Amino acid sequence: MTRSLAACALAAVLAAPAWTPIARADAPSFSEIEESLTCQCGCGLTVHSCNHLQCPSAIPLRAEIREQLALAKTKDGILEHFREKYGEKILSAPTTSGFNLIAWVLPFLAVGLGGVLIVIVVRGWVARRRVRAASESAPAPGQAVAGADAYQKVLERELRELDG
Amino acid sequence: MVDVGSLALLFWWVLAIYGIGTSPFGSYVRRRDFVASGENATLAVWGMVLVATAALLHGLVTSDFSLKYVAHYSSSTLPLQYKVAALWGGQAGSLLFWLVILTSMAAIVVLQNRERNRELMPYVTATLLVISLFFLSMVNFITPPFERLAFVPQEGRDLNPLLQNYWMTIHPPSLYVGFVGCSVPFAFAMAALATGRLDDVWIRTTRRWTLLAWFFLSLGNLFGAEWAYLVLGWGGYWAWDPVENAAFMPWLTCTAFLHSVMIQEKKNMLKVWNMVLVILTFLLTIFGTFLTRSGVISSVHSFTQSGLGPFFMSFLLVAAAAAFGLMFWRLRLLRSENELDSLLSRETAFLLNNLILVGICFAVFWGTVFPVVSEWVRGVKITVGPPFFNQVNAPLGLILLFLTGLGPVIAWRRATWSNLQRNVLRPMLFGVGVGAVLFVAGMRRGYAIVSFALCGVVLATISMEFFRGVRARQAMVGESAPTALVRLIGKNRRRYGGYIIHIGVVMMFLAFTGTSAFKQERQITVNPGDSFEIGNYSLRYDGVEEADSEHIAYLRANVAVFQGGELVETLQPEKRFYKKPEQPTTEVAIRSTLGADLYLVLGSFDQPTQMATIIAYINPLVGFLFWGGMVLVFGTFVTIWPQRATATAPAGAYSPGRNTVPAD
Repeated sequence: MTRSLAACALAAVLAAPAWTPIARADAPSFSEIEESLTCQCGCGLTVHSCNHLQCPSAIPLRAEIREQLALAKTKDGILEHFREKYGEKILSAPTTSGFNLIAWVLPFLAVGLGGVLIVIVVRGWVARRRVRAASESAPAPGQAVAGADAYQKVLERELRELDG
Repeated sequence: MVDVGSLALLFWWVLAIYGIGTSPFGSYVRRRDFVASGENATLAVWGMVLVATAALLHGLVTSDFSLKYVAHYSSSTLPLQYKVAALWGGQAGSLLFWLVILTSMAAIVVLQNRERNRELMPYVTATLLVISLFFLSMVNFITPPFERLAFVPQEGRDLNPLLQNYWMTIHPPSLYVGFVGCSVPFAFAMAALATGRLDDVWIRTTRRWTLLAWFFLSLGNLFGAEWAYLVLGWGGYWAWDPVENAAFMPWLTCTAFLHSVMIQEKKNMLKVWNMVLVILTFLLTIFGTFLTRSGVISSVHSFTQSGLGPFFMSFLLVAAAAAFGLMFWRLRLLRSENELDSLLSRETAFLLNNLILVGICFAVFWGTVFPVVSEWVRGVKITVGPPFFNQVNAPLGLILLFLTGLGPVIAWRRATWSNLQRNVLRPMLFGVGVGAVLFVAGMRRGYAIVSFALCGVVLATISMEFFRGVRARQAMVGESAPTALVRLIGKNRRRYGGYIIHIGVVMMFLAFTGTSAFKQERQITVNPGDSFEIGNYSLRYDGVEEADSEHIAYLRANVAVFQGGELVETLQPEKRFYKKPEQPTTEVAIRSTLGADLYLVLGSFDQPTQMATIIAYINPLVGFLFWGGMVLVFGTFVTIWPQRATATAPAGAYSPGRNTVPAD
C-alpha cells in the first residue's frame, strides 16, 4: 500500500514540470494585452472579446495596443500606459499591489482559514467521541474494585509462593 | 381585462396582509380555523395573481399599446413566442412573473401540507406571503404593470433584440423557478426556527423542493450560458458578468446545502451550518435580483436596470436581520452533540466540499462587489473581469473536482487505510495515468493536464462504484448486468442519481478545460472566393446574401466548410438589423461535433466591395457543456423520482394533524 502511494506521489512529482509556465518571449502578444483591458462600450467584456460592430471603444483601443507593441514595451509597461491614460477601470483585473491586493488574497485567505477551522472543529468532535467511547468501555466502579481485588489476591498468592 | 388585472393586484395585496397576520395568530391562539383561513388566503392570492398575469399576457398577445408595458416591450410584428416572453422582458412584467411562480409554489405547499406539518405551516405560509407582499408592493406602488398611456401609440417599441432568441424564452423562467424555489426551504427553515421544531422533519419535507430549486438554478445557468454563446457572439459562454455571478452564487450555496444536509439526516449534525446555508441561499437570490435591477454594478444585463435597487437592498437587509436574528434566538436548540470517529471520513470530505463551494461563492461575491468597495475606500473605479475570476476560481474548482471524486468513496465515520486503498488508489493511479499520457502526447498546459487527470479520477471512482454494485447484485440475485444496473439505480436513486449528476459535472469540467486552454481564434477580412484555414478546417467565403422581413433585415454570409478537401457544410453567420429598436445583433453559425465547435461570426461587411470580416473560433469540447447538462438533468430526475416508501417518520412527531413525512 505504502509503495503504491509512493508511486502515486512519484508520478505526481514527475508530472510537476507540466505546471511550469511555457517558455515565452518577453514581448507580450496582442491578444494577451487585449485580454488585460476592458472594453469601455458597456458590453462588460474584455477588448479581446468585444465584437460590437464599429465599437467606439474596442477599435481605437486595439489600434493603440498595436502602437504600444510597436514600441517594444513590456506587458507591464503597456498596461501602465493604459492605466495612466484611462484610469484603473481600463484594466480587466485589479492590480496586485496596494489595496487591490486584498481582492486577490481574501478569497484564498478565507478558504485557508475555513480549512484550519474545519480541522480544529473536527478534531474536537473526534476527541469528544473518544472520550465518550472510553467512558462507555470503562468498567463500572464496582467492577473496577472487584478486578482490583482479584489482582491483589493473585499478587499476594504469588508473593507467598515466592517466599515459601 | 386590464382593469381586472389591476384590481386583482390590489385585492391580492390586501389578502396577503390578511394571510400574514391570520396564520401565525391562529397558531398562537390554537385556532385551526384561523390557520386554515390564512392558508385559504394564500390560495386566493394565487388565484388573483393568475388573473393579473393572464390580463398582462392578454395585453401583450393582442398588442394593447394603451398599456405602457406592452408599448415598451412588444410590437405588433413580434412573433408570438416573444410576445409571451416579453412578460419577463421588462421590469414590471418580470416582477409579476416572479410572483406567479412564488404564489404557485406557495399554493402547492399549502395543498401538499393540508394534513401534515401542521405546526410548521402557519409560519411557512406567513413567510411565503411576506416575500410575496414585498413583490406585490413593488408591482402595486413602484412599477405597476398595468399603467396606461395618455396617448396610445400606433406601434410598440419592441422587445430588446438580444432577448429575441429561443434560449431567452427558457433561460429566465428556469432561473426564476430556481430562485423562487429557494424560498420554500427558507420558509420551512423560518417556520422550524419560529416553532422550535428543529429536528430533521423540515429538512426531509423540503428535500425535493431544494432539489427542484437546485435543478432549475442549474438549468437557468446552463441556458444562460447557451444564450450568451449563441447571441453575444464573442466565442464564449461565460463572461463573469455580475448578473451571471448573481445566478451562480445561490447555486453554489444550494449545492453545498444538498451535500451537508446528508450529514444532518444521517448523524443529526451541522444543524446551525445547514440553517446558515438555507438562509444564505435565499438571501443570495434576493441579492441577485438586487444586482440585476439596481445597476449598482455595470452589467451586460443592463436592460433590466431600474430604480428598484434601494427597495431590494432594504428587503435584503430586513430579511437577513430577521432570519439570522431568529437563528441566534434558537441557537441553543440548534446546537447538537457533534461527534466524529475520525478526521479521515466522508463527513470531513463533505465539510471540505462545503468549504470549497462556499469559498468559490465568496470569491465570486467578493469579485463582484469589489469595484464598489474600491470606490468607497479609495474613490477609484476599477474593473474586476474574467481574468480575476478565472485565476481565483480555477484552483478552487480543481480542488472541488478532486473532492467530487474522493467524497463518495471514502467511508462514513472512519476511513481506514485499507478502505482508501480499495476505493481511492486505483482511481488516483488512473488519473495520474491520464495526466501522464496527455503529457507524453505533448500537452504542456499545467491546469489542463491536472483538470483532465482529475476528471479521470472522478470518472474512475464512479465507474468503480457502479461496477461493484452491479457485480454484487449479479452475485446475490443472479441478474444480467444491464438488469442489475437498472435495479441498482432504482433501489438507491439518491446515491446513484448523485453519481450520474457528478458525471455531468465532470463533462462540464471537460468543456471548461477544453475551451479555456485550447481555444483557437482567427479574424480575417476576405473577398468572395477567398479561403482561409482554422484548425483542421478550410473555409471559403462565398459572399453575402440579403433577406428582409417586416421585423428584421438580414445579412447572411455564405461560408463553405471543407475538411480533408471535402465540403462538409455551408455555414451562414448573420448580422440582423432589427427595425423597431434600430439595433444590429449577431447570429453565429456553428458546426458542432463532440470534439469541437467551429464557431463563425460575421464581424463586418462592406457593401461596395463585398468584403467581409469573419471571426472564426475552434472551441474544443464545448459540446460537453450541453451534454453534461443533459446528464445532470437525467441524474436529477433519477434522484428526485419518488421511491417506494420504506419508512415514515415517528408517529405523532408533530401535532395537531397527521404528521407523516414523505419518504425519501
